[in-house]
Amino acid sequence: MTGATETGVVRGRASTAKTVAAAAVGLSALLFALALAAGFELLSLTGRLAGVPTIPLLGGLLVTLGAAVIAFGAGSRLELVETDPSRSAGLVAGTLFTGIWFVVTGLVASQTLGLGTVGWLAAASLGGAAAFAVTALPREDVGSTVPAGALAGSVGLVMLTGGIGPDWSWSPAGFSDAQSVTVFPRVVIPIAVAFCALVVGWAAAKAYGGFGARGRHLGAYLLIYLNAGSIIAVLFVLVAFVFAKGIDPVMAGVTVGLGVGPTTTLAVDLVIPFADVRLFGLSYDVVWPVSWPFVMNGASILNDVNGVWPAIVGTIWLVVGAVALAVPLGVGSAIFLTEYAERGRFTQVVEVATNALWSTPSIVFGLFGAAFLLPRFTPTPKKSLLAGMITLGFMLLPLVLITAREAMLSVPDEYRDASAALGVSKWQTVRSVVLPAAMPGVVTGVILGVGRIAGETAPLILTMGGGTFVTVDQAASVVDSFQLTLSPPFVTNPELTQATTALPYQLYQLILANVGQSSGIENMDTFRWGTALVLLVVVLSFYAIGIATRQYFRRKLDYE
Amino acid sequence: MGTTDDATDWQRHANRRLATAREFVAETETDALAAGLVGVLGLLGGFVGFLVTSQYTSVAVAAFLAAVGYGWVRHRELTARAVTLAMTVSTSLILVLILAFIVLEALPALRYESGELLGVSVPGLRMFTGTDWNPATNPKRFSMLPMIHGTVLVTIVATLVAGPLGVAAALFLSEIAPPRVREFVKPGVEILAGIPSIVYGFLGFAILGPWVSDQFDLVGQGTYLFVGIVVGLMALPTVVSVAEDAIDSVPESMKSGSLAMGTTDWQTMTAITIPAAFSGVSAAVLLGVGRAIGETMAATVMLRNEPTIAEPLYNVFYGFETLTSVIANKYGSATGLQESALFVAGIVLFVSVLALSIGSQLIEAHMHRKLGGSE
Repeated sequence: MTGATETGVVRGRASTAKTVAAAAVGLSALLFALALAAGFELLSLTGRLAGVPTIPLLGGLLVTLGAAVIAFGAGSRLELVETDPSRSAGLVAGTLFTGIWFVVTGLVASQTLGLGTVGWLAAASLGGAAAFAVTALPREDVGSTVPAGALAGSVGLVMLTGGIGPDWSWSPAGFSDAQSVTVFPRVVIPIAVAFCALVVGWAAAKAYGGFGARGRHLGAYLLIYLNAGSIIAVLFVLVAFVFAKGIDPVMAGVTVGLGVGPTTTLAVDLVIPFADVRLFGLSYDVVWPVSWPFVMNGASILNDVNGVWPAIVGTIWLVVGAVALAVPLGVGSAIFLTEYAERGRFTQVVEVATNALWSTPSIVFGLFGAAFLLPRFTPTPKKSLLAGMITLGFMLLPLVLITAREAMLSVPDEYRDASAALGVSKWQTVRSVVLPAAMPGVVTGVILGVGRIAGETAPLILTMGGGTFVTVDQAASVVDSFQLTLSPPFVTNPELTQATTALPYQLYQLILANVGQSSGIENMDTFRWGTALVLLVVVLSFYAIGIATRQYFRRKLDYE
Repeated sequence: MGTTDDATDWQRHANRRLATAREFVAETETDALAAGLVGVLGLLGGFVGFLVTSQYTSVAVAAFLAAVGYGWVRHRELTARAVTLAMTVSTSLILVLILAFIVLEALPALRYESGELLGVSVPGLRMFTGTDWNPATNPKRFSMLPMIHGTVLVTIVATLVAGPLGVAAALFLSEIAPPRVREFVKPGVEILAGIPSIVYGFLGFAILGPWVSDQFDLVGQGTYLFVGIVVGLMALPTVVSVAEDAIDSVPESMKSGSLAMGTTDWQTMTAITIPAAFSGVSAAVLLGVGRAIGETMAATVMLRNEPTIAEPLYNVFYGFETLTSVIANKYGSATGLQESALFVAGIVLFVSVLALSIGSQLIEAHMHRKLGGSE
C-alpha cells in the first residue's frame, strides 16, 4: 500500500517537474524567436513589448528561464524529482561550457574591469576552470543545468539592471581609429539572447528527458533538428529574397500575343566552299508570340527595357562547349578505369589526380586558362569564348569522371558476366550492357556539373572577358561564323576567338560598374537584381532537373 | 649488397615489361600497330603543335582522328582500349599542366623577390618575409602575407561555420531524419551548393555589407567575419555530402549491435557511429576547408581589395584581400611583375588545396581499410 501511495506522489511530482521542464523549453523557443525578431529589426529594442521596455523584459525572461533550469537541476540532485542522470555531464559539455565561460569572464575582466593582459587571462582561466569543475565533476543533473542557468541568469541580470541599456555601446580598446569597431545593443542583445536561449533550451530538453541517455538524446536531437531547419530556412530566404527583388525588372514589359515578339529568321544556305557558288537557299521568318524584353533584349539606350540576351547566349555556348569537351573525355576515362584497367598504382594515381582536380579552386583554373590557352588561339593573347569553354570543360571533367565511374562501379558484375558468357567482346559488353545501365548516374552527374559551371565566374574573368553593357547584336553567333580556309588550320571561327559575356560574368561587371546611364540603364540596382534572378533560375533549373532525374531513376532502377 | 639487389630487381622488372611489350607486338597485326603508331604520333604532334602555336596542329589532330577511325573499323576492341587509355592519361595530365604553367608564369616574380637564407639565395623568399604589396612605385614589393592573412582569417571563420553545422546536418541526414524529411532536406542542401558564388557575393555586397557597416559603425565596407560566414555557408554542402558518405559507410551491423544492447539512437551515434566514421568526417571538414580557401567571387565583391594586414591581427571586422580575390581583382589591369606575382598567389592556393585534398583522401582510404570496406 505504502509503495502505491509513494509512486503516486512521485508521479505527481514528476509530472509537475516535467511541466516545468517543458515550459522552459517553450520559453527558450519564445526567447529565440524574439531574439530573431530583434535581429531583423521587427522588434524595437528601445520600445516596449506588452507594456514593459523590451530590454529589461528580455532580461527578466532570461533570469526566469535560468532560475527554472537551475531549480530543476537542484530538485533532481536532492532527489525531489525522479530522474535518471549519468555520473557526469561529460567531457564534451564540460569543454563547451569552459570555452563559453572563459570568453565571458575574459571579456568582463578586460573590458569592464579594465584588467591588463595578465589580469584578464587569469580571470578568464579561473572562470573557465570553475565552469569545467561545475560541469564535469558533479552528477549530470547539476553539471548540465547550473552552468547553463548561470549563463542565462547573469546575462539576464545585466539586461534587467540596465547594465546594457538602449544607449549602451562598446568599442574594444586597442583598435586603431581607421579600423575601429563599435558594438551596439541592437547587435549584442539579439545574439546574446539567442545564444542563451539555445544553451538553456538544450539543458531544459535534457531535463525534460530526465537526463541520462534519454535526456541527452532529446537535448542533442533538439539542436540537430534546429540546425537542419535553419539550413533549409537560410536557403529558402536566400532564394525568396532574390526572387522578390528581381521579379519586377525581369517581368517588365512582358506581353503575350500573336506577332508581338521579335523576329527570328530561319535560313538554310547550301554553298560550295571556296568557290562562292550558292546552290540553294531558303529563309523563313518566324515571329515569336511572346515578347519578354529582359530576356530578349540587350543593353542599349534605344530600348524601353534593357535585357541580358547576349549573356544568356554566352552562357549557353559555354555550357555546350564545356560539355562537348568534358563528357567524352570523362566518360571515356571512366570506362577505361572501371572496365579495362586493373586496379593498381596507375588507377590510384589517376584517382588522386581526379579528386585533386575536383578540389582545385576555380580561380586557379582561370590562371591556367590564361597562361595555357590565351596565347595559343590568337596571335596576341586575347580573352575569348573558346578559352572560356575549354577552361570550364576542364573544371567539369573531374566531376563527370567521378560520377560516371561511380555509376559504372554500381553496375553489378553479374551483368558483365552474363554478357561475357554469351561470347560478346569486351567493348560490346561495355557499349550494350554497362553504359546503358550506368546512363542515369552519368546523366545526373553531368547535369549537376553543368549547373555548377554555369554559375562559375572566376575563371571567366581571366579567360573570357566581355563588356558590362552588351547590345543585342554583340551576342555570340557561333554557328554562322565558321569559315573554311585552304591553308591550315582549315577551319576558323572568329566568333569563338572573341571576348563575349555570360550571365555570372555580367553580374560581376554590373556590381563593379557604378552608373549605366550611357547605356540606357536608369536604375543599376534593379538591373543587377534582374540579372541575378535570371542567373539563379538558369542554374537552379539545371539542379532541379538533375535532382529530379536522379529521384526518377532511383525509383526505377534499384540494383540491390 | 642492397644496391646490386635493387639493380637486378629493376632489371628483371624492365625485362619483364620488355617481354610483355614484345609479346604484344608479336601478337598484334601489323596494320593495327601502324595505326596505333600514327595515332600516338598524331596526338603527341597535336599537343606539341598546340604548345608552340603551330598552324599544323590541326593536321596532326586530323592524323590522330584518321588513325582512330581506321582502328575503329578494323580493330574495334584494341582501339576502344587505346582511346580510353589516352583519355585517362590526358585527364591526369591536366593537373601536371596546371602546375607547370602557373609555375612558369610565376618565375619572374619569384626571381625578382629572391631573398637570402643562410647565405643561399631562395627565389620568392621576400614575398613571405616582408608585408608590403606595392606594385606601382620603386622599389616594387609583392608580399603574399596580407593575402595569406586574409585567407587564413576567412577560412577559420568559414570552418567554424561549416564544420559543426555540416557534420550535424550530415548526422541528421544519414541517421536521424525520417525518410520523408530527408527527401526534402537533402536536395535543399544540394541546391545551397548550386547557388552561384557570384549571387552569394552580390547578396553580401548589396545587403549584408552595408548592414554590417551600419551595425558595427565601421569605416567603409568589407569584413573578414561576414565573408567567412558566407563562404562557410558555401562550403557547408561539401562537408555535408562527404561526411554523410562517411557516416553511411559505417556498417549497419555495428550500429544494430549497439542498439540491441538497449542504447538510445544518440548513444549509438556518439559511441559507435561517430568514432567509426571519425576519420571520414574529418576528411569532409578538410575538403570543406579546401573549398573555403578557394572560394573567389564572394570574397572579391565583399572585400575592400587593398592588400593590407588588419590591426590587430585578429580584427575580423575589417576585410582587405584574400589570395583568391587579389587574382580576380588585379588580373587584367596588372602587367609584368605584378601579373607574375598573381601567379605566385595561384601557386600558394593550388598547393595548399592540393595538400588538403590528398590529405583527406589518405584519411578516407585509411578509414575504408579500417572498416574493411568493400574495396
